[in-house]
Amino acid sequence: MDSIEIGLWVTGGMFLLVVLGMRVAFAAAFAGLVGLIWIFWAKKGYDPEDFTWALTVAVKTAGQVPHGKVSSQALSLIPTFILIGYLAYYAGLTRALFEAAKRWIAWVPGGLAVSTVFATAGFAAVSGASVATAAVFARIAIPEMLKVGYDKRFAAGVVAAGGTLASLIPPSAILVIYAIIVEQDVGKLLLAGFIPGMFSAVIYAGLIIGLALVLPNFGPPVKGFTWKQRFASLPPALPIVAVVVIIIFFVYNPFGGDAWGTPTEGGAIGAFIVFLMAVFRGMRLPELKDALIETAKLSIMIFSIIWGVLIYVRFLGFADLPTAFSDWINSLPYSPMLILICILLGYAVLGMFMDAIGMLLLTLPVVYPAVMALNGGEMVSAADSTFGMSGPMCAVWFGILVVKMAEFCLITPPIGLNCFVVAGVRPDLTVQDVFRGVTPFFIADAVTIALLVAFPAIVLWLPSLA
Amino acid sequence: TFVTEAAATEWNVSVWGKRRAFTEHIHKLADLVSEKTGGEFTMNISYGGLSKNRENLDGISIGAFEMAQFCAGYHADKNRAITVLELPFLGVANLDEEVAVSHAIYAHPAVADEMAQWNAKMLMTSPMPQYNLVGTGEPRDELAEFDGMRVRATGGLGKAFSAVGGVPTSVTSSEAYQAMESGVVDTVAFAQHAHLSFGTINQAAWWTANLNPGTVNCPVVVNIDAYESLSDAEREALDSSVPEAIDYYLSNYGALLQRWDEVLAEKNVTKVMISDEELAKFKDVAGKPIHDAWIAEMSAQGLPAQELYDLVFKTLEDTRAN
Amino acid sequence: MAGHASVLSDDSVLSRLDRGLESVERKMAFVSGLGAFALMVLAVISVSGRNLFNEPLRGYVDWIEAAMPLIAIFGISYVQRTGGHIRMDIVVGALKGRPLWLAEFLTTLAILILMVLLVWGTWAHFDRSFDMSKPNWSRDSSIDIGLPIWPAKLVVPVAFSVMCLRLVLQLWGYGRAFLLGLSEPVAVPMVLSAAEQAALEADQVQGHD
Ligand code: NA
Ligand code: NA
Repeated sequence: MDSIEIGLWVTGGMFLLVVLGMRVAFAAAFAGLVGLIWIFWAKKGYDPEDFTWALTVAVKTAGQVPHGKVSSQALSLIPTFILIGYLAYYAGLTRALFEAAKRWIAWVPGGLAVSTVFATAGFAAVSGASVATAAVFARIAIPEMLKVGYDKRFAAGVVAAGGTLASLIPPSAILVIYAIIVEQDVGKLLLAGFIPGMFSAVIYAGLIIGLALVLPNFGPPVKGFTWKQRFASLPPALPIVAVVVIIIFFVYNPFGGDAWGTPTEGGAIGAFIVFLMAVFRGMRLPELKDALIETAKLSIMIFSIIWGVLIYVRFLGFADLPTAFSDWINSLPYSPMLILICILLGYAVLGMFMDAIGMLLLTLPVVYPAVMALNGGEMVSAADSTFGMSGPMCAVWFGILVVKMAEFCLITPPIGLNCFVVAGVRPDLTVQDVFRGVTPFFIADAVTIALLVAFPAIVLWLPSLA
Repeated sequence: TFVTEAAATEWNVSVWGKRRAFTEHIHKLADLVSEKTGGEFTMNISYGGLSKNRENLDGISIGAFEMAQFCAGYHADKNRAITVLELPFLGVANLDEEVAVSHAIYAHPAVADEMAQWNAKMLMTSPMPQYNLVGTGEPRDELAEFDGMRVRATGGLGKAFSAVGGVPTSVTSSEAYQAMESGVVDTVAFAQHAHLSFGTINQAAWWTANLNPGTVNCPVVVNIDAYESLSDAEREALDSSVPEAIDYYLSNYGALLQRWDEVLAEKNVTKVMISDEELAKFKDVAGKPIHDAWIAEMSAQGLPAQELYDLVFKTLEDTRAN
Repeated sequence: MAGHASVLSDDSVLSRLDRGLESVERKMAFVSGLGAFALMVLAVISVSGRNLFNEPLRGYVDWIEAAMPLIAIFGISYVQRTGGHIRMDIVVGALKGRPLWLAEFLTTLAILILMVLLVWGTWAHFDRSFDMSKPNWSRDSSIDIGLPIWPAKLVVPVAFSVMCLRLVLQLWGYGRAFLLGLSEPVAVPMVLSAAEQAALEADQVQGHD
């Protein structure tokens, strides 16, 4: 049996373990380790006397991965981004943002829902995780919308959809993970998420305004805030602006000078500002301790998948499976764009059943090289490429597309996690209610994804400046 | 057929980055070996798939792959003896001399012993020219301007820049471009091929043509068990191909160096010449004192440091005499 | 932000061992969290040093790399204890009673086998970098300032050993539940439906908006 066949069996076995409910991190590591043993033993012609040798080499090879791969400066962004999110609760930033958004934009048709969308977009700038964003805003925004007569299902849908913005708008843990797995520039990917994230928010807002204009009694505007009230709402939300500006400036200086540092430093300085704010707002040692333990739990969960999957990836390196898959994809008699769309649809289906981070980590090692090859290779120039963009830019574009797909899956049945969270917060809402309410946003997301595919410039303009 | 397949030897070779002048001798070696054995002995060269670059020696020690390349400065404590080759201002003038001193040091029993602890045997070097700086902003052509300079330089080179107030800041070679762009480092010390292959030349305003502070040392090693289990014919094919592979490397690199001035002109990079007085000052601080410190430190650890150090200069003399 | 409350307890030996180990695990997780906090402080020092005093933090990257295993791995057992490692629960979520405990027992056993092997592998990784006869006991050092790497490498087999203890307790818990046909066993994370899981996550952020 050649190494490609071993690669396929092991990959199939890994997905079987995942489906049977083995924790993703360990299913991947287990499959990778078995694969390594298999491939080393095969090299010795399956001689029984050599099994111990194969086992030892495989175990020691796998044993390099957890320490070796986790000790990375770029990956240190993940705990930092998670810490920012937890500190932001204590800093009272969510309430402040919603208040500001309400006073400034709730006068448009569908005003409170539009305000909610922009407040979640703003909160996305300090939160790396979608689910947490949905949970927080379910508590703040839904009651206010119900007060002025919104349909409760729709109010819940707005929050569930708005929550997904957190993973595109930097800081975003999932974009960092993508960058690490595909070995691309983290800074460029974070920059690239900014406009598509805002773009998604604008499309959501446009959809809401359109519905409000068409449907009678839908989301009445909320008017009557004085300019004084409006300006008074700004200072408490300012740290968000500071964090956004800092993270951007640490990646890319829009005024043409040097950037201020690395994304790693930018994330950490952002966290520090939010930390000071939280202390100012009354966070004390017990709360800080809780925030640190929660940060640790979420970080460790993510890192376990990372090193687990990287053991599997190390096995793939020995089996050379990604090259084989990539050759196969490129030999298919269909247009590259059609293949790309099929891959994205594949993610939509997989995402219905799987967690976003696990899904990307498990599939990218094989899918990403194939997509890069479709475009003409890692180092292809824009002129020679299939999709009209250079290799590194294609990596950025595909990254934003898959992350947007993964976010889309957070609001689709049957496992749309954001919808469960919103239903969990609101005892008066069932999961079915939230899924009903979020349906219009499927259409908005489908439109967004289609536009990002058709007009890559939306994604690539900002990173191409840096 | 099935029978020849069973008899065939296939080695996995772990390197990193992408194919470049720095790895050409390995590809040449693979071609030669396969040719000489009629395809019986082949090499599979993997760029990063088998190991992380700083763990290649670990992989050899484990037996996960049979051949690998690494650089001494990545992990001085793993390979103390050969760090002599990364001392600043040794005065190596060209790639031929670099090959000669490297191979002389590799043949020293102290080096062989240390490598044997990793189950590794030195096969050949990857000779690198002097690591000169590219930088952003105003050219730094005086020693005083190195104070507080954030420089991407590893091993002995890092020590040399430290001695004049610089701050060595390691980013991996593939992150060097981004680090320069973002101001994490002001300057990057690389050989010419790496300035090209990692794009740092595209960020550069200037290049120091004659700073010549030293270079890094990156051997190619083989796993001892794998080497010993080769058939006589295979081993002969491997050993006899090393000089040819090195020659190929040198001529390939030579062509690259010839193009270098054109590249500088094309990218509009200023060629900075540092005055002899400034160079002498640099050597005073970063040459002899660092050499002496190295000898003292390594002797204390039981290495024949003075012997290794003298071997470098004796080999240089011999090479120049020929 | 309460932790997941999905592990039941009583006064049995198993449950007491579970809670004893949990207090160790929780401290380890707290150390991981402190590491994340230290990362933030380190960046503030590095950036302000560089921009305000033209004195960058020497070995900044080396220190980050040394801290990462502590942050990313040290508390792994606590996450296992609370059932925090993600999985796909379509199949498991549909099971009840003995079939459920059998499935949990088998996947936990597979994880235990994996982790025992990885304790071996990561220990070997540490051991290659450790040599009592050398200065700082070091046979592997960091790239900029030559920090010995063995302490960071040692973190991993230590964390994984604690994880093995946790897995043994969980196997005991699931095995007991299977043999006795229990419906609410102690010392193992209870399977939550996606909705219950979501409600818990939502609870975590309650009161801090
Ligand atoms: Na975000
Ligand atoms: Na879903």
